[in-house]
Amino acid sequence: MYDRIFAGALLLLSGLIAWAAAQFDVPFQYEPLGPKAFPYILSALLAVAAVWLMIRPSADGWKPTKEVVLRLGGALVLMYGYAFIYEPLGFIIATAVVGGVFSWLFGEKPIKAGVYALVMSVVSFFLLTDLLQLNVPVGTVFGG
Amino acid sequence: MEVLSALATGFSVAFTPLNLFLVLFGCFTGTLIGSLPGIGPINGVAILLPLAYSIGLPPESALILLAGVYYGAEYGGRISSILLNVPGDAGAIMTTLDGYPMSKRGEGGRALAISAVSSFAGSMGALLMMVIMAPLLSELAIRFGPTEYVMLMVFAFTCLATMVGSRPIKTLIGTLIGLVLATVGVDSGTGVLRFTMDIPNFFDGVDFLVVVIGVFAISEVLVLLEQWVNNDLKVTPVGKSFVTFADIVKVRWVILRATVIGFFIGVLPGTGASIASAVAYGTEKRMAEGDSDEFGKGDIRGLAAPEAANNASAAGAMVPMLTLGIPGSGTTAILLGALLMFNITPGPLLFEQKPEIAWGLIASMFLGNIALLVLNLPLIGVFVRLLSIRQSYLIPVIVMLTFVGIYSIHGDSFDLFFMVILGIFGFILRKLHFSLAPVILGLVLGEVLEENLRRSLSMSGGDWSILLNGNITIGLAIASVLALVLPFLLKRIKGKGRTAQLQAELDD
Repeated sequence: MYDRIFAGALLLLSGLIAWAAAQFDVPFQYEPLGPKAFPYILSALLAVAAVWLMIRPSADGWKPTKEVVLRLGGALVLMYGYAFIYEPLGFIIATAVVGGVFSWLFGEKPIKAGVYALVMSVVSFFLLTDLLQLNVPVGTVFGG
Repeated sequence: MEVLSALATGFSVAFTPLNLFLVLFGCFTGTLIGSLPGIGPINGVAILLPLAYSIGLPPESALILLAGVYYGAEYGGRISSILLNVPGDAGAIMTTLDGYPMSKRGEGGRALAISAVSSFAGSMGALLMMVIMAPLLSELAIRFGPTEYVMLMVFAFTCLATMVGSRPIKTLIGTLIGLVLATVGVDSGTGVLRFTMDIPNFFDGVDFLVVVIGVFAISEVLVLLEQWVNNDLKVTPVGKSFVTFADIVKVRWVILRATVIGFFIGVLPGTGASIASAVAYGTEKRMAEGDSDEFGKGDIRGLAAPEAANNASAAGAMVPMLTLGIPGSGTTAILLGALLMFNITPGPLLFEQKPEIAWGLIASMFLGNIALLVLNLPLIGVFVRLLSIRQSYLIPVIVMLTFVGIYSIHGDSFDLFFMVILGIFGFILRKLHFSLAPVILGLVLGEVLEENLRRSLSMSGGDWSILLNGNITIGLAIASVLALVLPFLLKRIKGKGRTAQLQAELDD
């Protein structure tokens, strides 16, 4: 069933590709193929492959428990949140918070997880900025 | 003799202090990454690539570092396979079959040492073949025009589809997704913007690094989280046993055969360590007919074969990557992407125009393998102790490194959001049993494929028959058809049992 849903999405995608490619406004072109042909070919192949998969899907192998779904959802929210606060709050705070929760998600006790993440983020901040001279955000709220 | 002087140039590059340090560091990190359960060579290289790029290493040094991580991880993969029965990645699955039974018998030390020696012999043998073959292949490839490249890529994708992953159709779909991603951005021929959805960040294309890290590393974190259970893995003790001279004499032909098999499977586009080790194991089991009862219960031949083969294939996979610009495996696809980021196009001219990169890399691999043997025989205890690092400490570091790496490229949060979305996509693909390597291969090769296709048809004025205009193109076309048909025929002849079982093992 999952395969069929996915194949349906791919079929939709292949249609979108062909439609979008048809909209390209090509003012001039010196060669016979141009920018549209390759997307058309890919779209056609993708459509055929998607239909094939729809006719002969594999059995559903994935049956997560409720707890697993919750944990995965939590991790996604966490990573999305990380991306959200990474620049404004800066590396140290963002990493300490997100790293701590991740450590806890993987079974560490809350206090130990928090301490570990704080130490990790401070130490890595100085390693990354001073030793490797990478572009690590200080945090725009601090004027960085 | 030309080869020797070229190799000398390579060693002069590899022996600079920076590169020497990077070889050692890469091999150490690689062994570490390979031995940590769940994090294979692909993730290691993916996570380190943006860092190597952002700290401004020269291209040959970056490549030396990343390659060190790559083959170091092929060594490291066996540690968790043997001691924990948990393969670090697909290439190490075969090692568990005979390695784990040995360590349960209390011969963990012997198993680790035999596999280290086999890995070393496999790598070195493959490197020698590489030194001989790479210049020959690049001489052949110099005569390649656009049509030959198109057909070569068709051949690569066919090999990929029929040999990698659970089902050909799924590999094909993965490749197509990668190719579609490659078309996003401004079209170099006409300046037309394609599939950018009016998002400025997509105008110069989908960033290769964001895709690699998202699809591999982020989805890996999700998979680890899903599989996580609240008890620590039990490391079987290493014991005092060690490899004996008699052991090595017993497996010398096994190693030699496995090295040759591994190297050539590695050279084949798209097929990497997992297939090489499986084929080598299968071959040895058949060769030992009448005496094969011990296979699967801790036979040293069953341990030496896959180990020699997966390391040989790591070197073999570099050959088409360097000489043709067509990667032989998922990890070399990332290395190829890394070279492209440094504005270096691998291909036949690489050996002549940038000998310091091609030969520097090869020379560094000789040094790296010697370093790895040293790391893996006397210092094995260090890595064994690292096996018991808890995931609750490891995962935050991995997540942090992915974010730091991606942010450091453009300094734009957009890339971070896009990376997480691609991570979800990669996770879905994995849960539906799509392999991820084809996506990366499609992404890396998409632009080259389209460019060569368009150039070919410009030459012929739109006539598609130009794609079959010469001996090389026709040969490649025949090879593609064979690659498509042979696996099915073989399956018919041999009966479904063994192949299906092999597939199921590779599948996970």
